[in-house]
Amino acid sequence: MSTMTSPRPGHPADAATSTDLAIDIQDLHKRFGATRALDGLTLAVPTGQVHGLLGPNGAGKSTTIRVLLGLLKADSGRIRLLGGDPWAQAPELHRRLAYVPGDVSLWPNLTGGEAIDLLGRARGGLDRARRDELLDRFELDPRKKGRSYSKGNRQKVALVAALASDVELLVLDEPTSGLDPLMERVFTDYIRAERTSGRTVLLSSHILSEVETLCDHVSIIRAGRVVESGTLTQLRHLTRTQVTVDLAVPVPAQLTTLPGVHDAQVEGHRLTCQVDDTALSAVLARFAEIGIRSLVSTPPTLEELFLRHYEPEEAAS
Amino acid sequence: MTTTAREGHDGGGAHEARGPRTPRSLRTGPGIRSADGTHHTHRAPRAASTTTGATQHARLAARTSRWFWLVWILALASLMPATLSAYRTTVPEGPQGEAMAAALGVNTTMRAMLGPPYDLLDPGGFAMWRVGTFVAAAAAMMAALGVLRATRADEEVGRTELLRAGPIGRHAPLAGALLVAFGACALLGAIIAVSLAALAPPVGSALAAGLGIALTGAVWAAVGAVAAQLSESTRTCRGVALGSLAAAYLLRALADGVPDSSALSALQWVSPVEWAALARPYADERWWVLALPALLTAALVALAFRLESVRDHGSGLRAARPGPAHGSARLASAGGLVARLTRGSVIAWSVGLVTFSVVIGSLAGTIDTMLGDNPQLSAMFRRMGSGAPELEEAFVVAMLEIVAVLAAIFALSLLLRLRGEEEAGRTELMLSTATSRTRYALAHLVPALMLPTVLLLACGALVSLPSVLAGGDAGTIATCAGSALVLSPGVWVVVGFAMLVLGLRPRLLWLPWALVAWTLFVAWVGGLLRLPDALMKATPFAQLPHVPAEAFAWGPVLLLTALAALLLGAGLAGFRRRDIG
Repeated sequence: MSTMTSPRPGHPADAATSTDLAIDIQDLHKRFGATRALDGLTLAVPTGQVHGLLGPNGAGKSTTIRVLLGLLKADSGRIRLLGGDPWAQAPELHRRLAYVPGDVSLWPNLTGGEAIDLLGRARGGLDRARRDELLDRFELDPRKKGRSYSKGNRQKVALVAALASDVELLVLDEPTSGLDPLMERVFTDYIRAERTSGRTVLLSSHILSEVETLCDHVSIIRAGRVVESGTLTQLRHLTRTQVTVDLAVPVPAQLTTLPGVHDAQVEGHRLTCQVDDTALSAVLARFAEIGIRSLVSTPPTLEELFLRHYEPEEAAS
Repeated sequence: MTTTAREGHDGGGAHEARGPRTPRSLRTGPGIRSADGTHHTHRAPRAASTTTGATQHARLAARTSRWFWLVWILALASLMPATLSAYRTTVPEGPQGEAMAAALGVNTTMRAMLGPPYDLLDPGGFAMWRVGTFVAAAAAMMAALGVLRATRADEEVGRTELLRAGPIGRHAPLAGALLVAFGACALLGAIIAVSLAALAPPVGSALAAGLGIALTGAVWAAVGAVAAQLSESTRTCRGVALGSLAAAYLLRALADGVPDSSALSALQWVSPVEWAALARPYADERWWVLALPALLTAALVALAFRLESVRDHGSGLRAARPGPAHGSARLASAGGLVARLTRGSVIAWSVGLVTFSVVIGSLAGTIDTMLGDNPQLSAMFRRMGSGAPELEEAFVVAMLEIVAVLAAIFALSLLLRLRGEEEAGRTELMLSTATSRTRYALAHLVPALMLPTVLLLACGALVSLPSVLAGGDAGTIATCAGSALVLSPGVWVVVGFAMLVLGLRPRLLWLPWALVAWTLFVAWVGGLLRLPDALMKATPFAQLPHVPAEAFAWGPVLLLTALAALLLGAGLAGFRRRDIG
């Protein structure tokens, strides 16, 4: 990374952080005909971070990754990958990264072992011992032909090829979508080890629990742009807490319209609602005035975060 | 699926049947329909058999492969009438024609290539000999490929699994595919019979010819059905089916090539592609021979059903053998990958073209005795052979052009793997490694340019080999190899054009195919049909000097090479710039 070119003026991120950024995307646009796939996407992944790219199908996760790999040409925007230009310098940069596509397609008459060796060598070599260890841990038979592997096993082939290469960055597009829970666990262990050894990981997913367990940092993508980005704690902080309270008296109507209270549901003495974190003290104080019999509050799960960002879109459509 | 179809016709959803043309298999089931008030009591299913749903499958197979069948049937149906219409220009009336027919009939190579001549003086008999066995073999190829694409090919990619989960019998997809293939063969046979009856009566003979061809197709539809059971790989199944066809054709070539007195000539009865000819249409029909393909078809269909009953869905008869756990040292780059993936087709094409060249070469020596007395036919060959005065020379020149077109098809098939890999998503995988787009494209381009060129050179040399072995001038080898090599810029232009389309508008990839199809058509029958000069010249080979009929000239060779380089460069530049996937 010492070969990084001098920071360009006009890009504020450059001066301070760009040498530390494995991935730096500014205002990326990409259209396919009339479809706007990426619409001003901005994403920064510092070196050594495990970054989760969260979003439903069609939000632009795979398009972002494929632009990063130089497979698609950006319409506009600035993209730096490991300090280089992913479009112009793809082969050199690809020596330093490994990619697992969301839908792995293998050569029907090449065995899994052959595909792993081919991909590893074409990337610049792979660690034989680590390859064997990975095959063992993922319980993958490398002597079967590509056509006879299931979706999960095809994914394992790509994962073994990626993890057995000594690279700085792993780009994983929904890597566990075909794996069973046991194998998901093996995968999780490996990604944790990668993080400890300082590798950068960009992981796209729509499986929230996976992102929650693995990622330091999450970016939520919607309709081609990042709508929220931060650590899980930060994201939670910006959001609402689920509150269920049993009051001493039937719930007064004005409680449901307090500022910061959302989605209130009243059932006799019981009020279930979501409260903005910033309004939590004020709301709880009102409950206390009325008299609380019991109170349950739950921090928002990632799922709720996620739904909150997507529900307005569904309501609109 | 039967249930769905029935519900569509009688229940409250009768309007559905006239709705948009959704394939039946995709329509909403009865569960939805009962929501709008028409409740169906659950009826006892019709006696379920292992072929329940076969007709629905036949409809699906016909729908998804309609272009496949249409193109094949039309192309094959046109050959017999086309030959008939050219009959009088080939075999003139009177003693001259009789002499020629006699010469053709005893020519060993012609007999081996085309089949046993029975009555060449009857237009129908001549057409049957000239193209009848060939059409029968091509119909067999059509039927086998058609059955495989509706059975094993769908099963391999997992489409059949979804359908088999529905209320259909175990053999429904196979039975459906066979129904379509038999129907296609019957249609082809009917068109041929009707067109022959009109152009070359009597009706009975026309019917025998059409029936013989249809039944040969049916035999290989059944062979395809058996082959589909053998391996989990469509490629392997296809290899088995087409390999058996090639073996049957070679067997009959051998049997027809030896003198009638030889014991080997009885082998013609062993080859099912020969049966249509052995029924002797237009030459005192032996109808009972047609029972042979019918019986064989029935036996093979029974065998295929039996085999399908004893194997698991998705697998072949034998469990797939495990392959190597490690890639060989050469499998380390895009180039190594392409070499590995194309190995089989390179061998097959080489064997095919080399055999073709040797056959052409052995025919060349006899062409003078066969056609020398026939001014029309000689004139036709001279037209095809760029006006060479010597008939043998004209023949060689004409055939070398055909070899060159076949080499161009080979080149195209090598290059277009680039698109196949991209569509399958594997290009993405390779380009995510340190492989650059240029290297990846060149890994496909270099063999597509080199191998056909080398093969063309070898074929040129082989064409001259029989005459040299028979004591001819050894210098002919160099001349013929040179004549073939001179045509290679035409192959490069085809490759360049395909690369251009691939780099700029990959959706238009049918264009290079259309170009080679046209070129093949012109090379094969252009001289026969007396096409306008402008059309004859609209091929990549037309501008090149056809040595030795024409003098060698650097101009067109360099010009076409430069054009090819230009197209390749532009195509590569486009491929480097466009989105992948």
